[in-house]
Amino acid sequence: MIERLGYRIEPRSETTARGRTLAVGVALAASLVLCALLFLAVGVSPFAAFQSLAQGAFGTWRAATETLVKATPLIFTGLATAIAFRARLWNIGAEGQVFAGAMFAYWCQSALAGSSAWIQLPVIIIGAMVGGGLYAGLAAILKTRFRVDEVISTVMLNYIIVFALSLLLLKGPWSEAGGFFEQTAKVDPGSILPILFDKTRLHLGFLLALIAAAFVYLMIRKSPVGFEIRAAGSNLRALEVQGTNSRRVILMVMLISGALAGLAGMSEVYGVHYRLKAGAITSYGYTGIIVAILGLLNPWGVVIAAILFGALVNGATFMQIKTGVPSALIYAIEAILLLFYLAGWAASSFKLKRIKP
Amino acid sequence: MTTTSATPRLAVRHLTKRFGALIANDDVSLTIAPGELHCLLGENGAGKSTFSACLYGLLQPEAGEIEIDGVTAELTSPAKAIASGIGMVHQHFVLVPSFTVLENIVVGTGSGLRLDMTAARGRILDLSRQFGLEIAPDRLVADLSVGEKQWVEIVKALYLGARLLILDEPTAVLTPQESERLFAIIQQLKASGIAVILISHKMNEVMRSDRVSVLRKGRLVGTVTTKDVTRDDLTMMMVGRPVAQVHARSKPGAGETALSFTGVSLAKGGRTHLKNVTLDLAAGEIIGIAGVAGNGQDELLEAVAGLVRPDSGSIHLRGEDIGALSVHDIARRGVGYVPSDRFRDGLVSDFSIAENLILGQHWDERWRSGPFLDETATRRSAEQAIASYSVMASGPDMLCGRLSGGNAQKVILAREFAKARHLLLCNQPTRGVDIGVIEFVHGELLRKREEGCAILLVSEELEDIFALSDRIAVMFRGEILGIFPRHEADIARIGPLMAGHAHGAAA
Repeated sequence: MIERLGYRIEPRSETTARGRTLAVGVALAASLVLCALLFLAVGVSPFAAFQSLAQGAFGTWRAATETLVKATPLIFTGLATAIAFRARLWNIGAEGQVFAGAMFAYWCQSALAGSSAWIQLPVIIIGAMVGGGLYAGLAAILKTRFRVDEVISTVMLNYIIVFALSLLLLKGPWSEAGGFFEQTAKVDPGSILPILFDKTRLHLGFLLALIAAAFVYLMIRKSPVGFEIRAAGSNLRALEVQGTNSRRVILMVMLISGALAGLAGMSEVYGVHYRLKAGAITSYGYTGIIVAILGLLNPWGVVIAAILFGALVNGATFMQIKTGVPSALIYAIEAILLLFYLAGWAASSFKLKRIKP
Repeated sequence: MTTTSATPRLAVRHLTKRFGALIANDDVSLTIAPGELHCLLGENGAGKSTFSACLYGLLQPEAGEIEIDGVTAELTSPAKAIASGIGMVHQHFVLVPSFTVLENIVVGTGSGLRLDMTAARGRILDLSRQFGLEIAPDRLVADLSVGEKQWVEIVKALYLGARLLILDEPTAVLTPQESERLFAIIQQLKASGIAVILISHKMNEVMRSDRVSVLRKGRLVGTVTTKDVTRDDLTMMMVGRPVAQVHARSKPGAGETALSFTGVSLAKGGRTHLKNVTLDLAAGEIIGIAGVAGNGQDELLEAVAGLVRPDSGSIHLRGEDIGALSVHDIARRGVGYVPSDRFRDGLVSDFSIAENLILGQHWDERWRSGPFLDETATRRSAEQAIASYSVMASGPDMLCGRLSGGNAQKVILAREFAKARHLLLCNQPTRGVDIGVIEFVHGELLRKREEGCAILLVSEELEDIFALSDRIAVMFRGEILGIFPRHEADIARIGPLMAGHAHGAAA
């Protein structure tokens, strides 16, 4: 069809960083236009909608910190996904690992209820990493021992753990005594993540997320472990021929990835909701995949993308109150952003060539 | 050859093909007469493949025109090239293994929905009789030998009406005897007026052509009549300077045994890869393994490197059984391994030269400072390697995926030679690299040998084997059919063994 117009699409031999930025920039601008059309379709001025969105996300100190609260779990799951994808391990299981982390942390912590925060806080942090890590490690072992594709196993494990939690909460040992909802009782005050600033909800989890990002950055960029992760992402076979046990690399990457995801669960339970329930920890794993891709699998890119997503979610409520745009529209905007971004990225690898008129 | 007054079969005028800033073909013009065997000669990256891809419609040139039998041809796709009478036999065959020969040839040729298989079979039999290609139309392609598959490709091109046949390095996968058969077939093709373009860098084949066009860096250096020139003339044209001959060398030292195989066998996926291999390699000795690709050479080296475990038998490195050691432990004992597929097994393309040079040693103390990799140290050592192996690169941070084949190979050599204190396993060290690099690799291997390193060399290029080996072993279907001191080895003895004819050969 395009050839009839006198053009042909050809792959580029080389894509410059500038060309790529330009293509992605144009695509994102186009996505804003499409979002504007969506606003028009529901009868709201796009200008007012965007303005209220921004105001709701960053308009006040309180709003800005709330955006960071929303971003915190996404930083963890984005990092978890980024590190796995860097090694070309398609860990789609951050969702389940978030659950596993929260549950294992809760299990450890509930035995210590009443003790000092200096004991409980390290326990929930380490417990979350162990829980998430082990759950991801299961997929790694299935892959290295039985050649089960990690996409399949991690997705399946996501289902299993959601039902497992439901079972524990519904009639199991964790259900709140006399409670009506599927949730635990409030956690011990000594296990609650401290608030960073007065009159906000921003908690220690955000600081931990930034530390995790710095840790992941240094590890990938500078350490022998990161060397193996990056090598595995490009050519696992060469790494193996040079004497590195690829099973060890796969297990290690999944353990680290799961541990990071597990922290997201801990951070939501002990930083925001103060009880364990599915609603507190659902969907961060899947959104983390989008965050990781938008963040170019780079730790600092993940932080930025997570804050952007936090802002969208946080601003949406304000936008709904102020303009009447349904806040569910935000999910459409997220998807549009991702699709246009990916399209721009892909398009930058091609060029239009004029053939004979 | 026919007279020049006739219309040329192919006339190419001022063909230019660019890839971004790189000019792959720069104003190339040449003509080929019917019945001519025309050789395209040039180093890797000289533009031979680009030129043939333009002829076959796989690439579109920016400028220039192509005429076939005096008619301008618009070669915008392979289908149009085929319709214009151009056929191509690729280095890697494009055949469906689960189809019969007949099905492979007629697939995609039918007009409409019907295929007249009886007529097709008749034509195929006619063609194969006419050109001396013995093919049975009803055999499965999966059951054919490499040489026979190539015949199928040729018949397929002829069936489609090729008047100009492009053969891309056709002998790379053939035994010497199969190559002879191929040239006999080419004679038949010529006799019937079909023009043949032969892409090759093997001088003995080039010398059998009628004319040679030499490409260098995308430019046509010249087209010469083969009988008027010598091999050295052509090499000069191709490289642009005289090439040194391989150096004299000392007698093989009667060093201690560096490596010994005892009754090593390996079967995998229903195929025998190694069959009762027994072989001793002394320090300071080069043993060359001759054989057609896929006869167990890869597995022989991989077994020593620890990448595959033999089913039976033992391998000793300087007296120590290495059967249970990991790849890493074997490498630490002073073994270097140059794999045949350098971008699959040898290098991480997205890694810099500095990073690739420490691949596998990235936990070593000397490359670390504290918990992190010591970039100053790795970069310094990479600069040294780039200098001493004359790698054409912008610096230690250049990504290996951007290196040419020859320079990528040099990076691997730099890493593996440093590791190889006692033993070097070398698989196809000169595959796909320029004459200049071949010369360099030969020199380095001999230097390594002088240092007392034992070298096990696998190469499909018999020239490598003959130039370097102290002893030559021939492998066929996993078995060593004979071992000869170099002065007793010649093509006549080795060729039949490569094809599995063991009779009369003494080990």
